[in-house]
Amino acid sequence: MHSAPAQIDGVVDIVRDYFSQPIRMLQSWVNVLADELIEARSSSALTRNRIDAIVKPYAKKTLALTSVPVYGAGFIAAIDLLADSRSHLAWWQGKNQSQLILASQSVNKELIDYSELEWYRVPMVSGKPHVAGPHVDYLCSDEYTITVAVPVPGEGSFAGVAGLDLLIDAVERDLTPQLRAMGGEVTLVNAVGRVVISTDPSWATGDSVKGSRLAELPRASCEGVALDVIFDPNNGGLSGTP
Amino acid sequence: MSPPRVDETDVRAASADSAPSMRPTRLHGALFQPIGDEGRAELVERRLIDAITRGHLRAGERLPSESDLARSLGVAPVTVREALLTMRERGLIVTKRGRNGGSFVTDNADPMMFAREALRSSSRLALRDLGVHYAAITGACVRLAARRADSSEVALIRRRLERLDELDADQQRRLLDDVQVELVALSQSARLTREQMKLQAEFSPFLALAAQAGIDAAAQGESLLRLSAAIDAGDPLAASAETEELIDATINALIRLQSDPH
Repeated sequence: MHSAPAQIDGVVDIVRDYFSQPIRMLQSWVNVLADELIEARSSSALTRNRIDAIVKPYAKKTLALTSVPVYGAGFIAAIDLLADSRSHLAWWQGKNQSQLILASQSVNKELIDYSELEWYRVPMVSGKPHVAGPHVDYLCSDEYTITVAVPVPGEGSFAGVAGLDLLIDAVERDLTPQLRAMGGEVTLVNAVGRVVISTDPSWATGDSVKGSRLAELPRASCEGVALDVIFDPNNGGLSGTP
Repeated sequence: MSPPRVDETDVRAASADSAPSMRPTRLHGALFQPIGDEGRAELVERRLIDAITRGHLRAGERLPSESDLARSLGVAPVTVREALLTMRERGLIVTKRGRNGGSFVTDNADPMMFAREALRSSSRLALRDLGVHYAAITGACVRLAARRADSSEVALIRRRLERLDELDADQQRRLLDDVQVELVALSQSARLTREQMKLQAEFSPFLALAAQAGIDAAAQGESLLRLSAAIDAGDPLAASAETEELIDATINALIRLQSDPH
């Protein structure tokens, strides 16, 4: 077993910086949103329309973030928070930053129960920010996505989660050159050993490193984002088959 | 020699008493196919039919107001009005005036009526081909899932099935569909997941019908448990085989139902 080389710390810094920006953006408005929701609820029933109007400016602000490629953003309500609907997403996404209307998607997504999905379940239970994925986000983006989520305080328990989507394509484009510049082969994996991105083209996003050569290599955690960096100091031709 | 035109005859005979707006051939899934370019009024109609099929709008129940429908579906009120007119003409809803007026689902509306209608107007060939298509895409997804899923992910999905027998029929259908798409998404393929979801939307009402014809929700749940086990074991062929078995059984049950609609 190798001891972690010095370059690994540099890679960890890059990754933590990259993913802490979306987390900080969401954290910048969750408490204000929480207050607004409590106030709104005290004056009259909290409906889908009222939540959409309250959340929209925060979603738009998040979509305007330039340091990471935000594809979608918004608020996912706790079950039964609203008066006129058991569940609700106040979500804006895409090239035009248009509002996502689940009921009018070509496949009716309105009734999908999101309460068991990782990006909702984990922050609601832990009370902490969470980076989920890579996963096929079949509810919102319909693409291979990383979802960053921060719980929104509520009366008693959480009112829901504030979230944003990063498309893997875009993250790959952003991060891979930075990781490659550190030398060696760098592979970023999530908590279950799934590859997020890798500078080594023989490792595809979505592959599992469990039981492979990579699982034995020096690895460092990126605190606060539940991602690990695997560093392969061998360059190019010596790395062999995964 | 030209091939026997059995299927066209089946369809013509079956469509004799079906709604005038239904076009013959390949219409078996038309009611449940994803919204294409048909226009927004079609969307409203489909969503209302969906709500009736799922029991969210029951016989005799009042529909949401035109403006509420417009807002929740992201369409103009005039589009809602157009859709409601069509549904009135098809005898699916009635409009009452006066103090307690509004649009209501007809008293004899049955949640399964649309699935039954779709089945009646479909040919065996079309049904089997739907099964083939659905099996091909879902099979590809579960084979990938078997290669790429982590045990912890499968365990979480499997746990969701534990609640199945506590739920009513509509909730059971919902849970089975949700679990199916979660397993499919473990493929890590966005394209395949999107394709599968469209087919699931088309196939799901038939799965609901099959639940009344020998392949009940419990049996479908058990099949998904076996599928989960195959994915967990990293066995693509077993995963594929389990999916195909359920689909075959469903199609056969539907064809039996077609010949004997009781």
